[in-house]
Amino acid sequence: MPRSTVSTVCPYCAVGCGLQITTERGVATGIEYNPQHPVSHGALCPKGNASLEVINNKDRLTFPMKKVGDIWARISWEEALDLVGQRLSKALRDWGPESLGFLASSKCTNEENYLIEKLARTIGSRNVDNCARLCHAPSVVGLNRSLGAAGMTNPIPDLANSRCIFIIGSNLAENHPVITQWIHRAKDAGAVVIVADPRYTPTAWLADIFLQIRPGTDVALLNAMARLIIDEGWIDEKFIAARTTGYTGLVEALKGCSAEWAEGICGIPAQRIFQSAEAYALSPASSIVYSMGITQHTTGTDNVQALANLALICGQLGREGTGVLPLRGQNNVQGACDMGALAEFYPGYRPADDPATVESFSMAWDAQSLPLGRGLTAPEMIDGANDGRIKAMYIVGEDPVNSESNSRHVKEALSSLEFLVVQDIFMTSTSQLADLVLPAACWAEKEGTFTSTERRVQWTNLAVRPPGEARSDLWIVCEVANRMGLNFDYAGAEEVLSEINRTVPAYRGVTRSRLNATGIIWPCPNQDHPGTPILHIEAFKTMDGRGRILPVSFRHPAEGPSDEFPFTLTTGRIAVHHNAGSMTRRSPSLAEREPEPFAEINPMDARRLGISQGEMVNVTTARGMMEALARISERVPSGVVFMPFHFPGANILTSGARDEVAGIPEFKVAACNIARRD
Amino acid sequence: MPVYVDVLRCIGCKACEVACKREHNGKPHIAVLPAEGRAAVPLLCHHCKDATCALVCYSGALTTDGDRVSFDAAKCTGCGICALACPFGVIWSDKLAHKCDLCYPAELPSCVATCPAQALSTDYDVVSRRVRYKAAQASVIEGKRSI
Repeated sequence: MPRSTVSTVCPYCAVGCGLQITTERGVATGIEYNPQHPVSHGALCPKGNASLEVINNKDRLTFPMKKVGDIWARISWEEALDLVGQRLSKALRDWGPESLGFLASSKCTNEENYLIEKLARTIGSRNVDNCARLCHAPSVVGLNRSLGAAGMTNPIPDLANSRCIFIIGSNLAENHPVITQWIHRAKDAGAVVIVADPRYTPTAWLADIFLQIRPGTDVALLNAMARLIIDEGWIDEKFIAARTTGYTGLVEALKGCSAEWAEGICGIPAQRIFQSAEAYALSPASSIVYSMGITQHTTGTDNVQALANLALICGQLGREGTGVLPLRGQNNVQGACDMGALAEFYPGYRPADDPATVESFSMAWDAQSLPLGRGLTAPEMIDGANDGRIKAMYIVGEDPVNSESNSRHVKEALSSLEFLVVQDIFMTSTSQLADLVLPAACWAEKEGTFTSTERRVQWTNLAVRPPGEARSDLWIVCEVANRMGLNFDYAGAEEVLSEINRTVPAYRGVTRSRLNATGIIWPCPNQDHPGTPILHIEAFKTMDGRGRILPVSFRHPAEGPSDEFPFTLTTGRIAVHHNAGSMTRRSPSLAEREPEPFAEINPMDARRLGISQGEMVNVTTARGMMEALARISERVPSGVVFMPFHFPGANILTSGARDEVAGIPEFKVAACNIARRD
Repeated sequence: MPVYVDVLRCIGCKACEVACKREHNGKPHIAVLPAEGRAAVPLLCHHCKDATCALVCYSGALTTDGDRVSFDAAKCTGCGICALACPFGVIWSDKLAHKCDLCYPAELPSCVATCPAQALSTDYDVVSRRVRYKAAQASVIEGKRSI
């Protein structure tokens, strides 16, 4: 039997590493590295290296299942699809389109996300969202406001051209390990690396200047840096005059923001804030890299805008080695947003509250009564399910019970739905609550495009057939749509992509025939366009082409330490696990390396509480309690507790407080207590 | 050519462990040791010139073979004396000895190919070259790190 090698794109984080799967007799048996890949150069992190354990996992869902009483009964596809069609149509008839909620998936291809949001909107529901809400919604809102575009401004390999890399709120060495090689290259060429994080993470090992910041105080640090840059005259006056608006307002707003003031709030010595501001402002090319540590706050949008302000006043945008680089968490979270699987945007970030958008898509889709206006976001849909506004939900490839904050609330809400259908590759805490579970194909069992964090659109190929009766999400969504009276007649991903080429201007030139081994970085407005690795070279994407300097002021996180909950709990990812863990906890070679939830505690705190290394402790917040192994480590400062969120339960603890503008929950700061389990 | 480690680059992600395990039927030959949360060190066979493991191996399973210490599983008795003799503690045995085979006959060991931080290399000079390059740069720009 033939042995062959098939090119796919890694299904984990958003770096978009090339992953070549060798197959023998239709089974995925090995991985080959691809040194020609433009970003990964053959590298893969532990998750990518273990990805075959997902394809060949014995826990994979292989047939549709219906819940009968407490038991899951195997049913045929015909029966399952008819049931979804009937129940969603019934909800539509009885309670109207606003009673339906759709969660698209950042793990699915662009084509699949496009069809899910098209399905939702064609039947009249505005409520479609994806888990970008839980990671980069503030980037979408904040960067759109400041720069007019939400993506990474510069590609990953361009980091090698930076002479100062300011990494804030990103533990990329664990969460996007393959990016590390580009940071090392910049360092070899003499770049200064600044890392701001509450923990001394492996990313901090790369730092020349480490800023150990108190959780949730980023705006104070960034405002103080901006103020220093203005006071010391390190601004780029020409850039400010030619390309921005709002500078004088910023000068005014930063009056009280001295480095000493910030030291009091952030716990970072003023001298280090000065060094960082100087290095960032004066280097010939500086870039800002950030991630969830910036966005997952009630001040997420403010944090993003404060970063954009820094870049704008220093003119560190629109050139090689500069830029603002939000690192996305999932393989296709960028694409899911581009495809309009967001409550406030139609495909291509066309505002949902603009009648012109609705008109243009009514034409493109030949659809009547497309909904106008912003729909409910993912957390709002959960609230809606709780108070009865949402009656039925269709969740594709997401596990909100484990991934949203305040799990208990999510669980109650989803249980109260009239109908819940979940489509996934594994049983998850969410699908356990469903009425119907549909088995989906994983990334290697289908084809289509993924858009990585650097806006690189890459084609991924089918390496093996899905197990049992599992089907691609594309097929399932089309079948469901057809049963709801729509005509989703697509032969495959290629045909959907050609529709995307017509409806999303930035993808117009990203056609199947052009997607070779390296992919294309959008915007790519036509067939002859090479793609746009660096944004904002001549003008910003705002209406007047100027970057907007929008001052923000410091606010404390929603929860501060109290007598009852004297510690600050912050959550994050670790190298060998991914998000809610449904894939990595099932991969033996990853799970054996980090089998259990743990809580990092500073040795001083541990001594005071009599907690010893490796002992079980109870972590409690106002919302609940979770057991974890104590890991006593100087990585965290005294007063801070860190827990990974890959294990069920961590999000029982997190706070439901949200950023008012972007709707993201404050995963990164919760007041907690920690105690021995006696 | 053995695998050389640039400890300054390692981020402790364990990609090498997982890759090595996959390539060797679940029996990895490399281990990443965390050092107090401040650094991480990948440990694997040095392919010593005067290899004590080969010296003590009475069955002839371990032999020096040019640049590497090769292992012939068919000759291994599983006695484990090599694991005791290894000065670096990087051989282990169940009923068979397990040690780095440089993914022979592949061109590049999988740990080197997969390392996200390019901390592993088969080029013995790469680590010292990186250090020399940095020092040279510093001396050019008035003894300071450039900005």
